[in-house]
Amino acid sequence: MAFHPRYARQLLQWGEEKQQRIESGVVLVAGLGGLGALVGQLLARAGVGKLYLLDDGYVDWPDLNRQLLYAEEDVGSSKLMLACDRLFRINSTTEIVPLSGRLDESFRPPDDATLVADCLDNYRSRFLLERAISKKNYLVHAGVQGEEGQVLTLQKGASQTLAAIFSGVQQPAGEIPVTGSAAAVVAGLMSNELLAVLGGEPKLLNRCLVISLSDFHISFLDV
Amino acid sequence: MLQVQFYSLLRLLLKQEKLELPAVAEETVEQLLSRVQQQIATPFLQKLIDCDGQLHAGTIILINRQNIHHLDGLQSRVLDGDVIAFFPPGAGG
Repeated sequence: MAFHPRYARQLLQWGEEKQQRIESGVVLVAGLGGLGALVGQLLARAGVGKLYLLDDGYVDWPDLNRQLLYAEEDVGSSKLMLACDRLFRINSTTEIVPLSGRLDESFRPPDDATLVADCLDNYRSRFLLERAISKKNYLVHAGVQGEEGQVLTLQKGASQTLAAIFSGVQQPAGEIPVTGSAAAVVAGLMSNELLAVLGGEPKLLNRCLVISLSDFHISFLDV
Repeated sequence: MLQVQFYSLLRLLLKQEKLELPAVAEETVEQLLSRVQQQIATPFLQKLIDCDGQLHAGTIILINRQNIHHLDGLQSRVLDGDVIAFFPPGAGG
């Protein structure tokens, strides 16, 4: 099978079979902030077949330290519309589908989105998203705070739920500190895992990768 | 033995990733925490439990992968061989 030359370097790394799996993959990216803006970009660059994007926010100045799809002239504009435009310009062969509206109790992911990237910024939305996912589908969760973060893969129906694992945790009051480099590192690790899931070999299934940029430390927490 | 694991900001605060302690019969998570505090120079209990003895909402405690909220909370028993993990997850995105 002939692949587009844009994939030449990654094909050398992971080969044709994984590239084929990625190109037939469908991913819902929920949240287009510090994590989602880079995750969406890396998935589009890798050649994921179809990306559903979900975010009802608008670009604000405090976003610009870490939300790598947006620039100064975007302040006040819809993240969803900007992300659709930018990702299409990065890879026009990836189908980009915006999902408008809020993530609430009535939200249902599209049927063909068998992999969901939780790039959200609060637990309530995360638990709503998880509840809406169909059985057997995969959820890759990530969170970042300060210079720390985590990435974890769960399979609906087979793994513990995120809501059970994080039971009792409440959203911190006020603005959450986040550095640009921490968001980018966690988003990069999350993208790596999303591509591993698409390739049929998740590395973080029921295994939380915990990252501390503060002292360049990585550890695993089995869940 | 009990294996006690600290993650993220707790690991940084305590400058310690793991601690092994002998199991004590009938011990609860709350009692284990007091014992851990005696072993570690850095005061940390106030980061986990408020003055009313309630668990702060920023850290999860897992016994053998299970959140203690689904057991008996801080009164959950820990048994020989258990792995007890303390993890304050990152909330933002």
